[in-house]
Amino acid sequence: MKINLKDLTIEETHNHFKNGDFTVRELVDAYLEVIKEKNPDINAYLEVYSDLDIQISKAEEIFKNGTDTLMTGIPISIKDNMLFDGHVASASSKILGGYKATYDAGVIKQLKKQGTIFLGRTNMDEFAMGSSTETSAYGNTKNPLDTARVPGGSSGGAVSSVAMDGAMAALGSDTGGSIRQPAAFTGLVGLKPTYGAVSRFGIISMASSLDQVGPLGKTVRDVEIIFNAINAYDRLDSTSIPLEKRKISNPSKPKRIGVPKEFLSGDGIEKEVLQNFEESCQKLKNEGYELVDVSLPLIKYSLAVYYILMPAEVSSNLARYDGIRYGLHEEGDKLLDIYTKSRGKGFGKEVRRRILLGTYILSHGYYDAYYNTAVRVRHAIKNELANIFLNVDAIITPTSPCLPFKFNEKIEDPIAMYMSDLFTVPANIADIPAISIPSGKNANGLPFSLHIMAPYLREDILFAIGKDFEK
Amino acid sequence: MKLEDVKKLADMARIDMSDSEMEGIAKDFDSILAYVGQVQEVSKSEGTQSSALTQEDYFLNNVMRDDVVTNKEGEYTEKILSNAPDTENGFLKVKKIL
Repeated sequence: MKINLKDLTIEETHNHFKNGDFTVRELVDAYLEVIKEKNPDINAYLEVYSDLDIQISKAEEIFKNGTDTLMTGIPISIKDNMLFDGHVASASSKILGGYKATYDAGVIKQLKKQGTIFLGRTNMDEFAMGSSTETSAYGNTKNPLDTARVPGGSSGGAVSSVAMDGAMAALGSDTGGSIRQPAAFTGLVGLKPTYGAVSRFGIISMASSLDQVGPLGKTVRDVEIIFNAINAYDRLDSTSIPLEKRKISNPSKPKRIGVPKEFLSGDGIEKEVLQNFEESCQKLKNEGYELVDVSLPLIKYSLAVYYILMPAEVSSNLARYDGIRYGLHEEGDKLLDIYTKSRGKGFGKEVRRRILLGTYILSHGYYDAYYNTAVRVRHAIKNELANIFLNVDAIITPTSPCLPFKFNEKIEDPIAMYMSDLFTVPANIADIPAISIPSGKNANGLPFSLHIMAPYLREDILFAIGKDFEK
Repeated sequence: MKLEDVKKLADMARIDMSDSEMEGIAKDFDSILAYVGQVQEVSKSEGTQSSALTQEDYFLNNVMRDDVVTNKEGEYTEKILSNAPDTENGFLKVKKIL
């Protein structure tokens, strides 16, 4: 049968495999054809893997054994910061150009077991630092919905691979909104799971207390299926939550949704975005949800907290790149010259800026004023949200304060770029799960998106509301 | 922030940078630090004082294991060294330090 990639979901694909309507190989070939046609212009993929034949054979074997899951034979893309044994993983940085992974990341291991097909690795902001994928050392990625605009970031290649029908779904990573904002910019669904739900083992670290891997897909159900497949304890990630602590007693269907009105009245939120949000609220009311105003006076400080903790952790995590053990190596007269030259040449401008900012924040005399204060405010924000969740099942906002912007529009203005994360950062600060769901398009075809946050470990609430909203 | 302050940070972070880039960073930092400085104001307000810096929030705690070798000798040596820019006889090669 002719495969219609546009609307194909994971469950439908699984049934087609089972019914023999098409094979894993035929589906992979269909995606490869699209990639060949569109990727030279879009630049979603940095590499299409050369071992797809082996991957396909493994998936076919699993189907023959009868041990298949919904993820068996499903072709997805992975972000360039996930280690896949024997394959290049560069975090879209020159300093890791050509670096070959020596083991599988936890999420890769989980999905490999089930015979999921990894088509290739996708472009991203260098070390996931950015909101437009423009900081990649390997060129811009275009937004398939409007190629004059950015796909968002940092998982820009991931979303474009799906939006151009070059993968059924994608794995991304989210430190301050890097899954949800690009999903919003390309009309997709993106989930940032609870911190500790999904393994970070083998993910190239950016800010370890905030990073989390999550799925991107065309429907809430697709994202739920992938989340279920990677939602597992990993003893190799010391922040992974043990399974016995994940059990929720009596999960009830969500009814009450909080709307933080004052958070939505700040500067820099586009009018169209707010209008669309009002429509989304109405839609949820029509679905039978009760919407209530909630007061979250501290939540607006999340972004300031983020831009202290994140660079601090970045400066520490990226100290490992020395030009000696792996990655870019620049010659120098002394050992120190090798370090400074390799790092100066290997890191891009935004990464250099954030390492320096983190170095400043952690330096003697400023550590207390910035880092310790930010940690204290982070705790206060966590508590504020936990208290509100005693009264409401979820909190909604728009995903992004702005619609997809054009290339070079914000790259020279760090604060304007950082503001893209306004609504997504609080979930990372509070370790809670959040999802972004398409909520229509404007007159020019640019996508709007609704953002939903739920209490710790309550991804089920996000999926339930998301499915009602999607109807 | 002054250029010499940025130079000091670049030295500490071991990053070779041009003066013009550091001048740009000095300018950017003024606006970024003004923005993130909000946390100092809010931290004085009620509700943020009592938030103790404990390790017990949620399920985060230290994970320990016995300090024992879990892989065969040399199991990963070749794989790991294949990524290194310069090696000799199974070792990483670096410049003389002393």
